[in-house]
Amino acid sequence: MKLDFHQNHKLLYGTIFTGFVILSLIIAVFPAMWVQERNEPLPDSRALTELEQKGLNVYVSEGCMYCHTQQVRPIDMDAVWGRPSAPGDYARIGRQDVWRQTPAVLGSARTGPDLSNVGNRQPSEVWHYMHLFNPRSVVGESVMPSYPWLFEVKDDAGPDDTVITIPGDYAPKQGTVVATEKAEALVAYLLSLKQVKLESGETADAR
Amino acid sequence: MDQASTKKPSAVLSPQRPLTVEKARAGERIAASRHSTQLVYSYVAFSAFWLVVGTLAGQYLGLKFVWPEIDSLSWLSFGRLRPVHTNVVFWGFASLGMIALALYVVPRTSRRELYSYKLGWVSLWLMNGSVVLGTLLLMAGINNGGQEYREFIWPAMGLFALGLMVSAYNLYKTIARRDVREIYISNWYILAAFLWTIVLAAIAYLPGYQDDGISQTVVQGYYMHQGVGMWFTPMVLGLTYYFLPKLLNKPIYSYSLGVLAFWTQMLFYTMIGAHHFVFSPIPWWLQTVAIVFSVGMLVPVTAGTGNFLLTMRGSWGTIARSYSLPFILTGVIFYALVSYQGTLEAFRSLNKIWHFTNFTVAHSHLSMYGFVSFLIWGGVYGLIPRLTGKEPPQFSVGVHFWLALVGLLLYGVALMIGGTMQGLSWIAGEAFIESVNLMIPYWVWRAIGGTMMFMSHLIFAYNVWKMRPDRLKETEAYNI
Ligand code: HEM
Ligand code: HEM
Repeated sequence: MKLDFHQNHKLLYGTIFTGFVILSLIIAVFPAMWVQERNEPLPDSRALTELEQKGLNVYVSEGCMYCHTQQVRPIDMDAVWGRPSAPGDYARIGRQDVWRQTPAVLGSARTGPDLSNVGNRQPSEVWHYMHLFNPRSVVGESVMPSYPWLFEVKDDAGPDDTVITIPGDYAPKQGTVVATEKAEALVAYLLSLKQVKLESGETADAR
Repeated sequence: MDQASTKKPSAVLSPQRPLTVEKARAGERIAASRHSTQLVYSYVAFSAFWLVVGTLAGQYLGLKFVWPEIDSLSWLSFGRLRPVHTNVVFWGFASLGMIALALYVVPRTSRRELYSYKLGWVSLWLMNGSVVLGTLLLMAGINNGGQEYREFIWPAMGLFALGLMVSAYNLYKTIARRDVREIYISNWYILAAFLWTIVLAAIAYLPGYQDDGISQTVVQGYYMHQGVGMWFTPMVLGLTYYFLPKLLNKPIYSYSLGVLAFWTQMLFYTMIGAHHFVFSPIPWWLQTVAIVFSVGMLVPVTAGTGNFLLTMRGSWGTIARSYSLPFILTGVIFYALVSYQGTLEAFRSLNKIWHFTNFTVAHSHLSMYGFVSFLIWGGVYGLIPRLTGKEPPQFSVGVHFWLALVGLLLYGVALMIGGTMQGLSWIAGEAFIESVNLMIPYWVWRAIGGTMMFMSHLIFAYNVWKMRPDRLKETEAYNI
């Protein structure tokens, strides 16, 4: 059979198809398998609690990763966000369920600040609740959306309710603001975002 | 306008209408079967519909940057609407528009009827179903882990992939039964794009090798880049290899340059996904490979653009007189510019400044809009009037062109400048909120450019309506 791509459609499209499959295995599938096998959680890290995992699901569902990274690069300008991220930082993240894939927490845009270490930088629960209810109540110039649907406004809150005090201008006209379970979960997740120590020597070579 | 259409075409300003240059009419009508016209037109109509929906979302998102309190409804919040914007314009607008043109070009260059019109319709409904379902789920907060451009969960994306497979089979059968010996270069690109994207969708969604945060990032870089590089890019290039010579009425400058660009595209483009994650914790060597091949991309890009521009050389008058060719010329120029821009973005030294900033958003739109969308519009305006025998008002095609182009330039230039300033602000170690404050004027410019772009899409939809085929009776008169 003459090797003529111009006239033999089976040959042409066969080559196009298998060629791409092979290249894809080399550049994507095998490297992914390789890093997945070698990746280990950092010794000082712990698994997310049930509540924190729910919070991660809220984070994904609301699309927080479109504006926030969780990825500190090994360059000077990123030092404000913490130590450089290592593969181990992401070893414990997994699929949410059979419908949804492992969340893309690394992110690709920093419209808002990096959150890798926000649990250490901003450890106050109250701050996070106010910020989620209306970001401008704590950071005047923020362009982050408000998430009022993660809260309820009640006329009289019960003893088990997490009541949030919102400053005058931002508070609802009447009633008190109470966090829903989703807000509690999300805040628990955010507070869990604390970078832990790397094993010695792992800093640079881990990449 | 009516009066103008009876006069002979002319490239000079007529004294009565100093604002516009009269364009040539579409020329003779093509004899095409009623089935073909209806199918192609339906794809185009849905494509226009999704363009309006998708960019309404985009424009609204743009407003939220300057007016974050515009609403506080969960279904319309930024994080849920952003993937609606990107997925609707990708899978609804651009994909259906490209497939519409392919359903004409492949049979035409194979000198055969489409293998099955029925399969053509099945594919259209599968893809529409996918976009509707996916969009509703996204707005309800159900997404695939926020993986960019694969935010549709697998049952929704599965419908789209099925549609792709049906169309690929349909086109393959058409090519296999072609009535010419050679497979025209357009058909290399077009069917290859289908095959690559089917593989891509499978790799993107299969489990097993992308279950932790790092392995999924490796696959995400690959997927994100192949989505634009192995679906949109080869599709519109393949279509241009047909429409450009056809509309200029002369052969492509160099056939073998097209073949060279094809193979280098497949080899180099596949390797560069990791440049979306430069300095990230994915393997360093993978990033380096991606950067090196990003430079290699100069070969197919230069070969492709050069080929198109050399084909156009000497025909500038024809281009100025046509209302479809200016779109194609613009698309070709943007193809080169954004690709060179992309190569620069991949270098570590520049990536440091631009990564994570709005510069990336500028690049996305200059490419997906200036390159891909303009080539789709050029093809639609070049083909549909000849199929249906009905021309859009030339004035409104002109308004579409200029609003879209000027709007895009405002959008792109504003975010390129703003993005650079963001990066420099971070490098200078200023407080983070400074990089938000300094963006406000650029986001306002983006909103202004976006408004012009969105208005141009309404006009495009109107033009598509104006080009609609008449009821069966009249169309049949042209049947072969
Ligand atoms: C009226 C026209 C449009 C406007 C106003 C608009 C606006 C936007 C906005 C505000 C974003 C979010 C940016 C961010 O997160 O910082 C975005 C993202 C995006 N849009 Fe558009 N858009 C328009 C048309 C289009 C079209 C026609 C396409 C494709 C054919 C497109 C493709 C994209 C892509 C790929 C992204 C993701 C960008 C990235 O991750 O870098 N847009 N758009
Ligand atoms: C040789 C050609 C090209 C190269 C080397 C290139 C390079 C790049 C790089 C390095 C980025 C990542 C920027 C960052 O995150 O810092 C990027 C993003 C992007 N490119 Fe290109 N590009 C090329 C052509 C194109 C073309 C032709 C298209 C569209 C058809 C395109 C669409 C995009 C989009 C949509 C993104 C944003 C992805 C995201 O983060 O959501 N690029 N490109």
